[in-house]
Amino acid sequence: MSTVIETPAPASHEHPEAHEHVSYLKDGYSIWSWLFTVDHKRIGILYLVFLIVFFAVGGTFAGLVRLNLISPHGSILDNDTYNKTFTAHGVVMLFLFLIPSIPAVMGNFFVPMMIGAKDMAFPKLNIASWYVWIIGAGCAIWALLAGGLDTGWTLYPPYSSRFTHTNVVPGVFGVFVMGFSSIMTGLNIIVTIHRMRCPGMTWGRLPLFCWAMYATSLIQLLATPVLAITLALLMVEAASNALGNPIGIFDPSLDGDPVLFQHMFWFYSHPAVYIMIIPGMGVVSEILTCFSRKNIFGYTAVAWSSVGIAIIGFLVWAHHMFVAGISYYAALLFSFLTMLVAVPSAIKVFNWTSTLYRGAISFQAPMIFALGFLVLFTIGGLTGLPLATLGSDIHLHDTYYVVAHFHFVMVGGMVLAFLGALHYWWPKMFGVMYSDFWSRIGSILVIVGYILTFMPQFWLGYHGMPRRYPNYPPEFQFLNIMSTAGYTVQLAGFLTILTYLTISLFNGKKAGPNPWAATGLEWMTPSPPITHNFDHTPRVVCGPYEYSLNLTQTGERADVR
Amino acid sequence: MILQTTIMPEQASEMAWHVDNIIWFITAVTGVTGLGVYLAMLVFCIQYRRRTPNALGPAPTPRILGSHKLELAWTVLPLFLFLSFFAWGAWVYNMALHPPPDAQEIYVVGKQWMWKVQYPEGQRVILGQNSLAYGGDVGGEGYFSGVMVLPLGRPVKIVLTSEDVIHDFGIPAFRQKIDAVPGRVTYMWYLPTKLGTYDIFCDQYCGTNHSLMVGKVMVVEAGEYEKWLRGEWQTGPGKNATDGSMAHQGRQLFMKLNCIQCHDPQKARAPVLEEIYNTDRPVRGGGMVRATDQYLRDSVRKPRAKVREGWEPIMPAFGPDKVSEEELNKVIAYIKSLKKGQSMDRTDVAVPPVGAPTEPPPPAKTTGEGGPK
Repeated sequence: MSTVIETPAPASHEHPEAHEHVSYLKDGYSIWSWLFTVDHKRIGILYLVFLIVFFAVGGTFAGLVRLNLISPHGSILDNDTYNKTFTAHGVVMLFLFLIPSIPAVMGNFFVPMMIGAKDMAFPKLNIASWYVWIIGAGCAIWALLAGGLDTGWTLYPPYSSRFTHTNVVPGVFGVFVMGFSSIMTGLNIIVTIHRMRCPGMTWGRLPLFCWAMYATSLIQLLATPVLAITLALLMVEAASNALGNPIGIFDPSLDGDPVLFQHMFWFYSHPAVYIMIIPGMGVVSEILTCFSRKNIFGYTAVAWSSVGIAIIGFLVWAHHMFVAGISYYAALLFSFLTMLVAVPSAIKVFNWTSTLYRGAISFQAPMIFALGFLVLFTIGGLTGLPLATLGSDIHLHDTYYVVAHFHFVMVGGMVLAFLGALHYWWPKMFGVMYSDFWSRIGSILVIVGYILTFMPQFWLGYHGMPRRYPNYPPEFQFLNIMSTAGYTVQLAGFLTILTYLTISLFNGKKAGPNPWAATGLEWMTPSPPITHNFDHTPRVVCGPYEYSLNLTQTGERADVR
Repeated sequence: MILQTTIMPEQASEMAWHVDNIIWFITAVTGVTGLGVYLAMLVFCIQYRRRTPNALGPAPTPRILGSHKLELAWTVLPLFLFLSFFAWGAWVYNMALHPPPDAQEIYVVGKQWMWKVQYPEGQRVILGQNSLAYGGDVGGEGYFSGVMVLPLGRPVKIVLTSEDVIHDFGIPAFRQKIDAVPGRVTYMWYLPTKLGTYDIFCDQYCGTNHSLMVGKVMVVEAGEYEKWLRGEWQTGPGKNATDGSMAHQGRQLFMKLNCIQCHDPQKARAPVLEEIYNTDRPVRGGGMVRATDQYLRDSVRKPRAKVREGWEPIMPAFGPDKVSEEELNKVIAYIKSLKKGQSMDRTDVAVPPVGAPTEPPPPAKTTGEGGPK
């Protein structure tokens, strides 16, 4: 059955460039071979390097926020600096880390490999998307560091357009530009999945990570233009105001409508939440099956729930506005629709849990991250329900309860999934294995740190502590100190991870092509993969998770190599 | 000091009870579900942990592809649970949004970084701290200044707007909050059920001193409340001299701003405003408009947007430079108070002086101090 590898070398191998079975990492060492690459894997690595830098920047801002909150008086920052700090944390983490994280790194690197393709559909668009993202990110970072931005990442006018004196226009312009990168990546992945699947890779055999990336890309393609429109209008109002001849769009004193901005902003930014979480769901489906040696429980339900979330996710935006003065009937409708979008997420959690049933579960770092995702995402999802319910949202809205809720989803969900993906695919990306012991320690530290950081915030929010407060009534101090303590545990976890991953790059044990005995096509190539991914186009004969039969998608034994 | 955090935040209004019920209902249901999932995970992870010495590689597992029955069950059951949350939540929200008809109105205007509270009887309180007064020592109890006084057991309706950016008027002990949106009027109502002093927070980020846009609300006995309205009871920082009811001050503004030149029943060039509040009136171009707070406010700020049928669009716009939000509240309070035949005469100058004590109002009812006629 294993025809792919054992096929005698065809004639073409006699060409000089035939010894091209070199890994993509060794295919050129100059800086230009990276900066002008069109290889989807190298582009994924380019994204990865900057993502890690931006995550460190965003995490540092988070540290400043948490440090300031150990005292009710605000321990280190004055009010303006605090406002700029939490804004910077939000903008960096959302637009520079979470939104591109899994789609641009793992999506770029692994979607073509998982469907048996040589590259993305549009390799040049792919590298262009990285340049566009870097330009936008540079613009945003410059705005955040040179003077700062104090509007919150939500940029509500008229504060952002007419009242603040900070770098709104360059900061917003940076986000505007990064949006195009997101559109390009989304378009590329959609076309790749439609057009580049290898023979036998039917939609029903598509790995769930690819289904998740497909759903995510739909959102990126359809929602991001609305963000671009919104931000362009905001820039017009802010820039014209700065030039002394304000044009009213959102400011009511110029006949604008501030609630219009919120509608348009959340029309993107709520689906954007799903841009951030659906790829993580895809990753978890891959890891849970692999480390429990089981078929996914209910492939169709898990696949279509991603698409369902993506579609219904477009219809729930105004649940961010229940206390913004929208009409009673609109609130009813949006609360109802939000209940519907909660259902597919619940289905996924139940199906993942059932996947573990009668498995043979091992607990390497990727699995610990995936199980951590399951625990924390469940909390994040369930605590969203009191916010989607009208009667309870009027109390919990804009408090730390919301902060805790979305951090459980974003951080507990997406960051854990990102780390899980990084650990799962690290041997494939770099051909080396990291320390098993330290990776387990690191993953547990991060998960415990999350719980310690964000659990107290539910309580703070229920007791009424509002968001975005540099100082607060003293009775909230104890829980704030606990939350800050949790941050330090997380920090220790991240530093551990950074350390052993870096060490593994230089003297990690060499990983074989398929260290986890996984079944996906991406494990059918050497580690690290060769430039064109596969010697020959693979032929898929079965579904993606035949762990119980120990069969890869090409029909070979999964544990051979 | 550190461990002052209580288990449950205080419930000081009727709505607090309703909101807590739904929050704890959802928390209990989702908590049980979540713990069930965790228990299953834990049991599976222990029961089905890999027992073979090699950590990876093949292991005998059954080929389970799914179960439509189970999947249907965990699609439909959560859906019904979620819809029960929705229905209960909608019921509570409906109560929170629609004040009883006898609720007394209190006007609140948000402004960076303070709340200006106007009582119809003329009391005025400023909550929060202006950045100009923001010294080096912030935080702690020191920065709370100003007290909004509310009566125990009587419904009050908050009529909210903002002068500049979006704010949010939230009282955790009442479990209620709503945005103060510039150019718009939003409402909320309370039925305070417990004496005491509670926090007021600005919950919508509004700039530098967002976290200092805070104050206290004090719930007092109805009798004390009436005394306070008359200026006879000291409440500390919120103390103000009574200077005539809002409607009365609105009446003076009505003359000062020359509204009376056209809105004059004797020689009308614009609609007579008697008993117009909350009634439907036809507008030019067809259709009806209800004369809500929002419409009356818009008709001052942008009078030509919706003109009453049968009248010429001759009214000039009164922007914030001519009429502040607080003054606008007073004018609207005057319009609301106008009864049939009570419009003032254009030549009427016999107005009681500002500062004259007013009669205590009948409980829970806006009074129209329309002046002697």
